[in-house]
Amino acid sequence: MKKLITRRTAVKRLFQISGAMAFSALTDCPLRGTEKVLAQKPGTGFIVEGLGQKEGYSVKELTKKIFDAAGGTARFISRGDVVVIKPNVSWARRPELAATTNPQVLEAVIELCYECGAKKVRIADYTINDARRCFAITGVGSVAKKTDADLVIPRSSLMRKMKIHGHRLEIWPVFIPLVEADKVINLPIAKDHGLSTLTLGIKNWIGGVGGRRYALHQDIHQTIVDLAQFFKPTVTLIDATRIMVTNGPSGGNLSDVAEKNTLILSDDQVAADAAAAKLFGVNPANLGFIELGEKWGLGTSDLLKLNRKKVVI
Amino acid sequence: MGPRYLGFIKTQSKKGGYLKARHLIWIRRASQAFFLLLFLFLLIESRLPQDVFVEYSLALSSAQELSIERPVRFFFQLDPLVLLSSLLSGHHLIKGFWWAIGLLVVTLFLGRFFCGFICPLGTIHHVVSWVKPTLKGEQMVRANQKSPSQRVKYFLLITVLTGTLMSVNFTGLMDPISILFRSIALAIIPGLGTGAKEVFELMAGSDVKILNLLAYGEVLLSPVFGYTYEVFKTAWFIGLLFLAILFLNRIRPRFWCRFLCPLGALLGIFSRFTILTLVKDREKCTGCNACTKSCQGAAEPEPGKEWQSAECLMCFNCFDSCPEDALSFRFRWSSPLSNKKPDMGRRAVLAGILAGVSLPLLGRLDGQAHKVSNPSLIRPPGSLAEKNFLTLCQRCGLCMKVCPTNVINPTLTEAGMAGFWTPHLIMTQGYCEYSCTLCGDVCPTGAIAEFSAKEKIERPIKIGSAYIERGRCLPWSGNGPCIVCEEHCPTSPKAIYFRKGIVAGPDGKESPVQLPYVDLKTCVGCGICEYKCPVKGLPAIRVISAGESRSMENQILL
Repeated sequence: MKKLITRRTAVKRLFQISGAMAFSALTDCPLRGTEKVLAQKPGTGFIVEGLGQKEGYSVKELTKKIFDAAGGTARFISRGDVVVIKPNVSWARRPELAATTNPQVLEAVIELCYECGAKKVRIADYTINDARRCFAITGVGSVAKKTDADLVIPRSSLMRKMKIHGHRLEIWPVFIPLVEADKVINLPIAKDHGLSTLTLGIKNWIGGVGGRRYALHQDIHQTIVDLAQFFKPTVTLIDATRIMVTNGPSGGNLSDVAEKNTLILSDDQVAADAAAAKLFGVNPANLGFIELGEKWGLGTSDLLKLNRKKVVI
Repeated sequence: MGPRYLGFIKTQSKKGGYLKARHLIWIRRASQAFFLLLFLFLLIESRLPQDVFVEYSLALSSAQELSIERPVRFFFQLDPLVLLSSLLSGHHLIKGFWWAIGLLVVTLFLGRFFCGFICPLGTIHHVVSWVKPTLKGEQMVRANQKSPSQRVKYFLLITVLTGTLMSVNFTGLMDPISILFRSIALAIIPGLGTGAKEVFELMAGSDVKILNLLAYGEVLLSPVFGYTYEVFKTAWFIGLLFLAILFLNRIRPRFWCRFLCPLGALLGIFSRFTILTLVKDREKCTGCNACTKSCQGAAEPEPGKEWQSAECLMCFNCFDSCPEDALSFRFRWSSPLSNKKPDMGRRAVLAGILAGVSLPLLGRLDGQAHKVSNPSLIRPPGSLAEKNFLTLCQRCGLCMKVCPTNVINPTLTEAGMAGFWTPHLIMTQGYCEYSCTLCGDVCPTGAIAEFSAKEKIERPIKIGSAYIERGRCLPWSGNGPCIVCEEHCPTSPKAIYFRKGIVAGPDGKESPVQLPYVDLKTCVGCGICEYKCPVKGLPAIRVISAGESRSMENQILL
């Protein structure tokens, strides 16, 4: 017969277990950084700009075409990969207000990943407004359902302090779904911004960290370059189908939006941002984060150094 | 010992139309379980819709982006005290009031069956009193004798109803449905949720792989307990009070229902003429007191005493427990006037009226019904003007439960004593989502009027105004650039704008920065600027109630 344990033993064991758990949490010091991948040498990358000229063109088709022009999705995504996509769904705004990534582009990218045999595609963003409202209203939720991608709902247990190894940031809480993946695709929307002038690909990484992230604005250009160097996406695809030209980054009015019907794909984060800046009529050289990105070897703003292609449909 | 029956016909015929007492008890238990579970289900469903995978073209084509489809207000619509108090004090017929009217009509025929069969708080008390009662045998028989203290509930009923005539609605402090909702939604669920979340976070942060994986179990609990650490001001007190009410069941079974519940008192008055009555057969009675021992309402079921229809909770325990078939429940159409009058006592009535008159008068002394006094009394969007608000708010906590950012909290002193536990927004704890309409969707009495997302944005509905404290603000105080408030401002054009300025830093060096200003005309007081401001604790930009749309007086601009 099994021996019954006494209440005293039960309490004792409970303390042992909880003690062990607490201890294991303590030993997991926040200093566990991720492997640092060497920055890609500037000048060896590519950039593809896609433009939908025809009335009623298919955003999906354009997305597929630019990936094809870049050598096909298979160049970036291997069979069995866990792919995480970082869109910008910071705000609970309707997609046509251009505060968030166009859901059609997102849908196309997820489909391309699955076509290449990706094991799982996740959508992860640490939103500003309530995450569930953001997912429902921006259309990202329905895209996740349609394409069978995982939608990660942000919560504090998914934040881990990590070494950023930046020039300004040492240790910062990171949204771990963005780190625990084989491939990362940065999928921002191009918008106006009060401090960094524009929010494009590099700035999108603010949505990958938590903690006191609004203190990052005190040195915005350097901190976002640090984050971009930390996250190191496989590719950046800037959604400029609709861009927010004023009142950014949250907008809220259709008059803040301009149709550009453009998508920019690059493996060079600086180049992608530089190309997108031109859509706003902004000289990339005037953007602090582009200047710093070049300085620290994140990429180049000189698009001529890259393998440059253009797709028009 | 033969089976006992509920006679549906008056005749003594042994054939047909009978229901075994045992079956009746099980029907009651099933009904209690059903309504308690329904209550909890609707309480949990009082949240942002969980289906974020909505087809967006549908969600976006309507003026209401996300709304709750379940009838989460049902129990409040069923509650005649909510109906009566909002009618008397706010002259407002609440939505779905027919449920409460129906309940009152049925009570006229069946007595306080709501207490025995439906009331979720009553069910909890019933279970607590029934499982491991403290009182045994003879003690219990003595405890279940009718006591004059049972008049207290009439006193409380008359107090709240007189109060409503004086335009302050205290009902929600005592109403069982409000008490239960508030206690579970604001204290019990957040309490358990916080504990669970801490454990999950510990597991997620540990180095043990299996604990890491187990931490993903959090997603199963989050839909119930929320995705963040939910906190509510004074929740500890709400929770303690609830535990205290439960503890009272150890002194007397269903202490609350017997002595305190104003809804029970109201239904007791309505059950004066009930035709479903307890019929006693003195000849069969052996005086074993089994009926009194099991009586939940101290309604004097034993033969030889007069049955108190107003105190009877219609639990049918006495009927079931009598070993001699001396008790039965029958429909007696002929003599509804023969029921005993509710024993209110003149003193309880007079004291109730007195308290009902004085409490609203005192309660408004420190409030703001006539004056604008407290800048942090920021009411949810759609709230009525303060005076009308206090006539309708049940302090049930539905708006607080449903709010996705946890910004709506019970007040402590902000609204004065008359407004204790009514909702207000604490912007360091959350903020009002620009296009969210949930609090107005769920308010059972219309204290927060229903509004659409379109209305909220285009009218716009203002709940207050932001102001900048320059000494604290980073750019204004020379401590570096920061645009967080402007970045988050949801209006278009933004209510927070910049002027370029030259500010000297700590080293005396002057440098150009963007200095934030608030445009009071555009600001709606949503508070996201205060919530996200990097100056923690006491942010550099804060929202006060001035400028709120609901008030004529509490304004800044011409």
